[in-house]
Amino acid sequence: MATDLRISNISKIYPGCIANDNVSLQFKSGKIYALLGENGAGKSTLVKILSGVISPDNGEVFLNEKNLKLSSPLDAKKNKIGMVFQHFNLFETLSVFENLSIDATEDNKSLRVRINEILKKYNFSIDLDVPVLNLSAGQKQKVEIIRCLLRSPKVLIMDEPTSVLTEQETEELFISLKKFCDEGILIIYITHKLKEVLSLCDEVAVMRKGKVVSVSQTQNEKVETLANKMVCQKLAKIRKKINISKNKDEIFKVKHLNFYSDDPFETNLINLNFSVKKGECLGIAGISGNGQNELFQILSGEIITPDTSIIFRNKEIAKLNPKQRREYLMAFSPEDRISQAAVPELKIFENVALNNFKSSNFFEKGLVNERKIKEHSKKILSDFSVNTDNVELKSQFLSGGNLQKLILGRELITAPELLICYNPTWGLDVGAINYIHETLIKINDQEKSTILISTDTEELLKLSDRIAVIYKGKLSKIMPSDEVTPEKLGVLMGGGSID
Amino acid sequence: MSLDISFIGILIGSIMASSVPLILAASGELITERSGVLNLGVEGMMIIGAISGFALMVITDNLFIAIVGTMLSGVIISLIFGFLTQSLLTNHVATGLALTIFGIGLSAMLGKNFVGIPGKEFPILFSSLRESIPFFGPILFGHSIVLYFAFALPFLTNYFLKKTKLGLVVRAVGDSPVSASNQGINVILVRYCCILYGGAMCGLAGAYLSLIYTPQWIENMTAGRGWIALALVVFATWSPIKVLIGALIFGGITILQLHMQAIGFRIPVQFLSALPYLMTIIVLVVISRDSRKIKLNTPTSLGRIFYKEK
Repeated sequence: MATDLRISNISKIYPGCIANDNVSLQFKSGKIYALLGENGAGKSTLVKILSGVISPDNGEVFLNEKNLKLSSPLDAKKNKIGMVFQHFNLFETLSVFENLSIDATEDNKSLRVRINEILKKYNFSIDLDVPVLNLSAGQKQKVEIIRCLLRSPKVLIMDEPTSVLTEQETEELFISLKKFCDEGILIIYITHKLKEVLSLCDEVAVMRKGKVVSVSQTQNEKVETLANKMVCQKLAKIRKKINISKNKDEIFKVKHLNFYSDDPFETNLINLNFSVKKGECLGIAGISGNGQNELFQILSGEIITPDTSIIFRNKEIAKLNPKQRREYLMAFSPEDRISQAAVPELKIFENVALNNFKSSNFFEKGLVNERKIKEHSKKILSDFSVNTDNVELKSQFLSGGNLQKLILGRELITAPELLICYNPTWGLDVGAINYIHETLIKINDQEKSTILISTDTEELLKLSDRIAVIYKGKLSKIMPSDEVTPEKLGVLMGGGSID
Repeated sequence: MSLDISFIGILIGSIMASSVPLILAASGELITERSGVLNLGVEGMMIIGAISGFALMVITDNLFIAIVGTMLSGVIISLIFGFLTQSLLTNHVATGLALTIFGIGLSAMLGKNFVGIPGKEFPILFSSLRESIPFFGPILFGHSIVLYFAFALPFLTNYFLKKTKLGLVVRAVGDSPVSASNQGINVILVRYCCILYGGAMCGLAGAYLSLIYTPQWIENMTAGRGWIALALVVFATWSPIKVLIGALIFGGITILQLHMQAIGFRIPVQFLSALPYLMTIIVLVVISRDSRKIKLNTPTSLGRIFYKEK
């Protein structure tokens, strides 16, 4: 029997944020639907409503013209709506079988038989008796899918399913999803990845700021058209005007940077020498794990190496810790936003205060000047267009893009002479990436310098004035970026040479 | 003193008796903690159980009513904890500590009129077998029904957690309340039930002290056993069988060091008194070294407040 799912005028308002604004959509079985939007566009809220986790303030959901009351996850289950969340809803310490049996109504024996049938039919290989914590992300997702399949669902909702998967696992997932679709299951696929929409889905609804802004056939769409719908404005093609001038001062100079570690998970750095000029962006390319972590930590002062000389604004700073380096007007944006750059449990304004500058007046006589910090935080939120004005919000509730904007804002508000970033756009959606790139270019325009350590070659070519490649802890020759092509970088990143 | 076979039998019997309150309270707390709730009120619930059991016995002169009533008192006092932590979302640690302080104070007040009243003899089972069989007699027979129940409890608890559907639900809630809630499990209800069950067992543990072990009411008679039970649960890495082992070690060394003190070993008394605590922790840490197993048994959400998204 065909399935017809209709969402009618759904609204959900959170304090300070309209998550869903009068959303109406229609889905029919036999097709794979994409729900596309940036982080924070309201996709997750909508699927939480569909799966009964939260209730809408307004609006209705119809399944085959039957008005569904979805006031708990049980209701969604009863109505054959299956849901695979982005963050898995599994019990890590329980075995796979226990996870699957917890809401089963049948006895264990027949359940096991049914699970094995599903495993066979879709070619999944999972050991049912190991604890879930031993599984890979892809396997965990399969367990979630099996849990849905056991209830023979009419609708299967996948919330950003590929964010934790490898390429291989993603391909496997797409094959399975197409199979489910052929079997008559209505599939709603939530994502912010444009290429996935084009390769997998038949129809795409784009959401922006809680509203559905477009519904179309994917065959009529291209990456660019979807991207523009997603972020509203036409994405400007950013490419920096390369700015190499011989007679500018060297503001930052590293000599004899060596790092040796006994830890097999760390990379040794061998005799790195480089310098950064005023107003310049030095890009450092490389496949991750070639020493970027160690390099960032040494440049930021988390690791102090002996015999290294780091001159910054004519002062030797190699022995200074990160706080002292900040006082000399360096700023840092580490790769891992949630555990290195910000404390997720702290409120936004508290995170802003963490930098603890002497000049900032955040602290007076050992006391926290909350009013000042909050004013300051508000300014960051608006200057860097973070999607909230609530400085009391815990940082963990910010999306990756918004958190990165906050972190950059916090770092830049002191007007640093040098900003060192490591993979600043990692995991962000197009809109946020564009914003970050514009910001980084603006820094250089103001005659401040940046060091950009990144694994994204496109980004490096866009933003850097000069580029070097790090491979197994060694730095290549530094090249002006107009002489560099992606192919050249690829060769160097793979350990080859180009001369 | 001669260390003959029958003396060792009696010694083991008394070790078993002394470990009963620990087994009961720790088994109850273990279920509570497995559901993700950390109730530090064990000591308070035990002492309330002790006074209410004794008071009910004196008033009704009926041991059955006393035992049932004492479990009820544990349920009622843990209901306070449940309401505060699950419905009003207060911090588990602070609420549990408050419960203990409250319990100790309340029991002292209620118990004023019961100090010095002699207790009643609690019926023991198979008393004839106890005398007639050497060595095994005093170990296996001649105990109160509560002792037999206590020794069965860790195994029942283990079976409940590992083999039954409800046990699975409890473990699931303790592992990830958010996931459980998304699966349609009523997390708050499950946690309430586990809290109340833990309260009932702590109440019973207290009653064992005031009705059977030393049948009388003395202020503060639990003397820190509740804290030991709590520690047992953690050091036994939430495994019911290891709780039993830990309780026996603690009871055993407590009894043995008393004998050593009586004999006059030339070791400072303070050190001997500290021995049970020390040995129990050392043994449990050693037998629970497998970090993978610890991870599998530890309720991941322990002590964390859960609230449902609306």
